[in-house]
Amino acid sequence: MFYISIFFQYMSQYVKTKLQYRTDLLVEFLSDLMFQGVNLIFILVVFGHTQLLNGWTRDEIIFIYGFFLVPFALFAAFFNIWDFNERYIVRGEMDRVLTRPVHSLFQIVLERMELESLLGGITGLIVMGYAASRLHLSFHWYDVILFVLFVLGGTFVYAGIFISLASISFWSDARSSIMPMMYNIGNYGRYPVDIYNRVIRYVLTWILPFAFVGVYPSAYFLRKTEWYTYSFLTPVMGIVCFTLSVLLWNAGVKRYRGAGN
Amino acid sequence: MYAIEVEKLRKEFKSYSSRSGLAGAFRDLFTRNYKIIRAVDDISFTVKQGEMVGYIGENGAGKSTTIKMLTGILTPTSGRVVVNGMNPHKERERFVQTIGVVFGQRSQLWWDIAVQESFRLLKKVYRVSDQDYNEHMDHVIETLDIGPLLDKPVRKLSLGQRMRCELAAALIHNPPLLFLDEPTIGLDVLVKLKIRQFLKEINEKYNTTILLTTHDMTDIEALCERVIMLDEGKIIYDGSLQRLKQNWGEGKQIHFQFRDIVSKEELMLLVDATWEQGEDRYSWIAHVRATDMAHVIGKVVSSYELKDIHIREVSTEEIIRNIYEEGIHHG
Repeated sequence: MFYISIFFQYMSQYVKTKLQYRTDLLVEFLSDLMFQGVNLIFILVVFGHTQLLNGWTRDEIIFIYGFFLVPFALFAAFFNIWDFNERYIVRGEMDRVLTRPVHSLFQIVLERMELESLLGGITGLIVMGYAASRLHLSFHWYDVILFVLFVLGGTFVYAGIFISLASISFWSDARSSIMPMMYNIGNYGRYPVDIYNRVIRYVLTWILPFAFVGVYPSAYFLRKTEWYTYSFLTPVMGIVCFTLSVLLWNAGVKRYRGAGN
Repeated sequence: MYAIEVEKLRKEFKSYSSRSGLAGAFRDLFTRNYKIIRAVDDISFTVKQGEMVGYIGENGAGKSTTIKMLTGILTPTSGRVVVNGMNPHKERERFVQTIGVVFGQRSQLWWDIAVQESFRLLKKVYRVSDQDYNEHMDHVIETLDIGPLLDKPVRKLSLGQRMRCELAAALIHNPPLLFLDEPTIGLDVLVKLKIRQFLKEINEKYNTTILLTTHDMTDIEALCERVIMLDEGKIIYDGSLQRLKQNWGEGKQIHFQFRDIVSKEELMLLVDATWEQGEDRYSWIAHVRATDMAHVIGKVVSSYELKDIHIREVSTEEIIRNIYEEGIHHG
């Protein structure tokens, strides 16, 4: 309860900060909107050239892409802590965080949230809607619940991986250049994994489980029964990934050395 | 009951020294020269509730590291820390509810939002009730004179204004123990006075324990009965400021401004004291014991024509400097 109320406190503070710079807000909103528009066109143009990919039709691939955008938007809004090392470790902001009676990771998530990223989720829904109508997909009432579960699962998979990477900063002083590479690898989850070689497929499923953010959960809505096991594993993978990353984080905080004064 | 109990507390950092040159950099890739640095070396002390303690030492003596262990930010390598009856890093979230922290060089407030919004957020974070908040903070805001600043964003405040707000922010939950790490760094005299006045007041009113690190000895003189002095991670003095001054600061300095150029040899022949050149060749400073003062002045005045003369006590600042230069056992 306490954490939920704190969450809304920070959120209202975030909105207030944004509202302080009115012109900035307007420009940002328009540019975000434009970015999403370009993104949408880009997707349709690029996929316009592929008709069939290892048994997946063009519209199915577009659907997966659209689904992927939703958990990704949630991740980007709340767990995008790629600059954790620089902001909190090198500059010593972690000291301040650790003197407050709220879990350190939760505080950082709240401080770093970027709600405008949620717009990407709307783009995702539009893309999915477009693909679904062309595929004549039909949905049950409980699909909505599953959709929410899968999206949350995917978000937590993403969050877990990036929190783990951020935790590495507690052990090593070196600024890692792993983050941009991870964003690239993350993109592989948007495509049907069976187009990749077996090793890559294994990595994307069990080691860096990005496949659970895009292709596996979408397979359920596309009624690809051969992938159902993986689809239903999505929320489980989300919980496992996220739990492991929080444990790693907690261990890291114990090792925190602080920045010199 | 003790507010702080520390026993054989130690913190070691592992750091590696890089070899020189390109070849060295390649060797570093494979094997690194690790060196264990002991930032805090088996220190023990206790602080009673309501005490104001000055924690002093040169840069790198281990002050900040100790404070960070006492506040639960860092995990000690070994030793025992009990603060407010708790183990700081083990029960961090419950523990920090009972302390207030101000780092002079780092802001606790949110940069972009108005000061009162920061306060409101912290009030929620520390779960302070409206009643407690109003009762306590009205007084704090009034004493620190920050009422007019409350609706301004932090980034628009001057350093002195910001520092007063930081202090107020650290007291929102009215903690029984306050850690201040260089709270007056870079502030002008008036703000310093106001902050000292305020700290004294809350100490009297709420019996708040205060542990303070500073490079400004006048802070310590104004606030602390007791000082703990740290050098290379070890405590070299723990006791009253008064005693430190008695042991070390007995001497006086007499500044003579002569009308003519005088050489050191002449002065040495005249009186047996430690002579030191002043700003120019006309001025000399004699370091003497208090009891010899009249004798030295009498001799000099009767032998030379003087333009000016004044007598100074050795300041705490100088005492501390002397101790670091010569070691504690000298006195």
